[in-house]
Amino acid sequence: MAIDFPLLSFLLFTPLAGALVCLFIGVGNSVAPRWVALLTAGGVFVVSLLLCLQQPPTAGWLLYEDYRWIEQFGIRYTLGLDGISAVLILLTAFLQVLAVLVSWRQERAPGVYFALLLVLEMAAFGVLLALDLILFYLFWELMLIPMFFLIGVWGYQRRFQAAVKFFLYTLVGSLCLLLAVISLYLLHGDQTGTYTFALEALKQTELSTTQELVFFLCFMAAFAVKVPLFPFHSWLPDAHAEGPAAGSVDLAGLLLKTGVYGMIRFAFPLFPVAAQKTLPLLAGLALVGLFYAAWVAYQLVDIKRIVAFSSISHMGFVILGLAAWNQTAWEGSLLLMVNHAITTAGLFAVVAMIEQRTGTRSLDQLGGLWKSHPNMSAFFLLFCMASLGLPGLANFAGEILILIGVFTVKPLWAVIAVGGILFSATYTLRLVQGTLWGGNCEPHDKQDLHSREWLVLVPLAVLVVALGCYPQPVLDLLREPLSALLLVGGMP
Amino acid sequence: MDILLTLILLLPLAGGVINACFGKRLPRPVPVFIACGSVIGSFLAALGSFTLATGDGYRLVLFTWLKSGNFQADVGLLFDPLAAIMTLMVTGVASLIHLYAAGYMEDDSDQVRFFALLNLFVFAMLTIVLADNLLLLFLGWEGVGFCSYGLIGFWYRKTENADAGRKAFIVTRIGDLFFAVALLWLFTLFGTISIEGINAQVAGLDMTTVTLLSLLLLVGACGKSAQLPLMSWLPDAMAGPTPVSALIHAATMVTAGVYLLCRMFPLVSLSPTAMAAIALVGIATALYAATCALAQNEIKRVLAYSTMSQVGYMFLAVGLGSVSAAMFHLITHAFFKALLFMAAGCVINLAGHENDIRRMGGMRQRSPLVFWLFIAGLLCLAGAPLTSGFFSKDLILATAFAQGDIFHQGLYALGVMTALLTSFYCFRLAYLVFGGDYRGDELPDEPNGLMLWPLLPLALLGLGAGLLNLPHLFAGGSWLSSWLEREQDVLHLAIATEYLLIGTAVAVFVLGWLLAALRYRRYVQRPASITGKFLLNGWRADDLFDLLLVRPFKKIGRFCSQGVEIGLIDGVLSGTVRQCNGLGIRLRGLGAGKVSLYLQGLVWGFVVIVGWFLLRALI
Repeated sequence: MAIDFPLLSFLLFTPLAGALVCLFIGVGNSVAPRWVALLTAGGVFVVSLLLCLQQPPTAGWLLYEDYRWIEQFGIRYTLGLDGISAVLILLTAFLQVLAVLVSWRQERAPGVYFALLLVLEMAAFGVLLALDLILFYLFWELMLIPMFFLIGVWGYQRRFQAAVKFFLYTLVGSLCLLLAVISLYLLHGDQTGTYTFALEALKQTELSTTQELVFFLCFMAAFAVKVPLFPFHSWLPDAHAEGPAAGSVDLAGLLLKTGVYGMIRFAFPLFPVAAQKTLPLLAGLALVGLFYAAWVAYQLVDIKRIVAFSSISHMGFVILGLAAWNQTAWEGSLLLMVNHAITTAGLFAVVAMIEQRTGTRSLDQLGGLWKSHPNMSAFFLLFCMASLGLPGLANFAGEILILIGVFTVKPLWAVIAVGGILFSATYTLRLVQGTLWGGNCEPHDKQDLHSREWLVLVPLAVLVVALGCYPQPVLDLLREPLSALLLVGGMP
Repeated sequence: MDILLTLILLLPLAGGVINACFGKRLPRPVPVFIACGSVIGSFLAALGSFTLATGDGYRLVLFTWLKSGNFQADVGLLFDPLAAIMTLMVTGVASLIHLYAAGYMEDDSDQVRFFALLNLFVFAMLTIVLADNLLLLFLGWEGVGFCSYGLIGFWYRKTENADAGRKAFIVTRIGDLFFAVALLWLFTLFGTISIEGINAQVAGLDMTTVTLLSLLLLVGACGKSAQLPLMSWLPDAMAGPTPVSALIHAATMVTAGVYLLCRMFPLVSLSPTAMAAIALVGIATALYAATCALAQNEIKRVLAYSTMSQVGYMFLAVGLGSVSAAMFHLITHAFFKALLFMAAGCVINLAGHENDIRRMGGMRQRSPLVFWLFIAGLLCLAGAPLTSGFFSKDLILATAFAQGDIFHQGLYALGVMTALLTSFYCFRLAYLVFGGDYRGDELPDEPNGLMLWPLLPLALLGLGAGLLNLPHLFAGGSWLSSWLEREQDVLHLAIATEYLLIGTAVAVFVLGWLLAALRYRRYVQRPASITGKFLLNGWRADDLFDLLLVRPFKKIGRFCSQGVEIGLIDGVLSGTVRQCNGLGIRLRGLGAGKVSLYLQGLVWGFVVIVGWFLLRALI
């Protein structure tokens, strides 16, 4: 591959170009935008797949771009791709194709809708690639806007409240991040005389313990809201419940991931000492969230909310792995993050199909779908089993690595977290039982899966099994970059 | 040979996956052929590779499943004598059960799902048996849990069935948690999860760690094997189709716990405390379940409790340190219990799909063949002299007796007591089902041929499997003990003691029969006594668990979803919003265009500023 071809920028701006085309072509034409969106998302996916397949797993940057941008303030346009961002970009690109397919029949302003989806993809790419803090912040905020409109315009009845809640929550976190970024920039400039927002340079800033702690907490405020970490989670269930199906797929698959990514790429390496100090707190919140969300999920009747809370519970697992701060746990955390995204995307996709056919999402009214829709139900069962951590399916591989990594440093945390496996079984089996078994529901649409739905579910199902039985390719990509990041902080 | 060994696992997996994905597109009998063929093929492969399993066994690594840091889990097989004999038993019994199921499920519209799950179950069970490391074993361990969940709730339209499946999944998963903790701990201690690797290094551990680890494994085993206190799912699991009860809840899955303890025996046996705990759990469950079986009214529930009770004997054997006694009983039990369940399926058909033994009676006239098959199973279960159950149970009791101290004498006494109860409830069942006249009013539904002929080999095996480990007294060579390389399990008792033990066993059998004959030879309708109800409900264990676990769990859940989520978090949020709103309204009030207010502000502001400068000038 030609070295001087700016592949990363190409990857970054293709969705934007697609979005613009969607916008213009969408005026008065309701079919063309979805094809444009599908072609763009598909093309981006193929490129990122080739990118991942071609790269040998090494420690450094696989691809790197650096241009001048706003020189007065030392802001540069710096992008870098390593194993971690490669995996997450591939995941994002893959899920985005499915998100387009899930919302194929979007009839309300499809041009704008698909344009927003593509902008969201671009923003997520930017977050995963940016190595300049201002550039990163820009993309970080840019993710908010399409999501806000997707929920607020294309959602359900209470969509506006949900969108505002989502926006305010994340905005408050992001503002903390911005403040910390600017202070850090000024501090570093005063110390060294060179004012820059480059991540690598800022890592060298000398900070007092208090400064470091304050900055770290500001960064974490933004990331913890996005993850979301208990008790900052309450925007997520509303956003899921009121947002459109593709919005849920993107929320679970793209947005939540950026929080964890921000932690390991920015918050931990910039402030390693403060991070080390707050690990027990982080682990505590993660564990509480793990059980708390499961308990809440067990009480709910709205199946979309149940899946949302299961998402919070799983993210608790992910954060717990980060708090263990060792290779195995971190590999497990990132693997679980990828696998959870795929499982949850599957769950949300099927939930949307169930709602289309029955007109309800309430466990009280559903039941017996296996009888009328065996294929759809089989997929739902598969994703549910993956979600409750059945070995051989995706989530288990990540969970067991996390547990092993955590046990070697903090056995008690791991023992408590093992209990979470039981908790996930309780609410997931309740979900399965309320939808598939029994038999009091009369769906108005008797059609089992049609071809577009097969196209969405089969790749997800194949991945759920493949990543459960053979996750090595992903782990290989993650290994070296993660161990490099771990070294920054040193072992606790 | 590698291929043959791989095929043992691969065939049932392939059969299950093919049926699950494409079964519905295939013409009607093909899925059944695939299912039965794959399991029979697996059995033949097991036969073919049997000779590999000598000494320390044959190891085969297929690929690396998970590798991170110094943690590595392979998909690797360990084919040693213990695994080999278990593999043969599992595939052999499963083959017969599959054939039976082909007859039993002939008319079920959903038979493809049934056979897919059944095949996957066999795969998962074989994974437990053949796994060379604990994580792969855990995969099988959870896999059988899932398959049994799907099969217990197979007729999902009835909510009770689905509930029973869910209960089985969750209760056994409680045990799995303990197993998982043991796995994590063992890895941290030894840096490996290979079964051989762990067993080779355990000698260096301190006693407390060994005891705790063994107890963790014990609780894990209790979940799958339905031992106290994690036993309550098994009777409910009878909601599944009868072949499922035969395969999962009699022959294979419930013995997984025993197998796990045998597999980890070098670790477990190091701790006398843990061994005593295993023996106590075993005998307590054996006795508990035998009492419950006395009062059950459904034929399959009697058998379910009897399974629990017999698995209790196996735990007792492990606790006594005799792997070969445990495995001997495990194998003989698999034969006769599978036979009993499948014969019970025939009986239920003959009684016009009636489960309740109070509405049976006179079944002997309806089908003498089923009668004799069922009686063969019952004789083994009750420990009739010279049947396989007699030898295997006797070996366990004799091992307890031979240890001599008061603790083991007590175990022996309780074991004999359980045997008496067993004989009693077996003959109670026999009299109520087969004796007298038919008490129901349903028309019989004849079992078809496929449901009958797989029972014949099982009956022969059940009656004759004692030959596997025939003691010296009967001119046998204790083949199983020497195959498992457990010569130390062979008892060398004085002839008089041996006769005494055998005499006791025979006497207990006869006594149980006589008592049952006295009470049940003529059917009398009896109102259920309080004790009867207590036993019928399994000592009301379900109510206890409901009170102790389920209700607090739900209460905390309500607290989280109502109290914390809505009350606290949303409350704080909307409180903040209200404050902001209120502030905004007040601020808006300031700018509402009242000129007098502006003038007031102007004046006060002027005063403050001037005052400030005056103050500074003065000070």
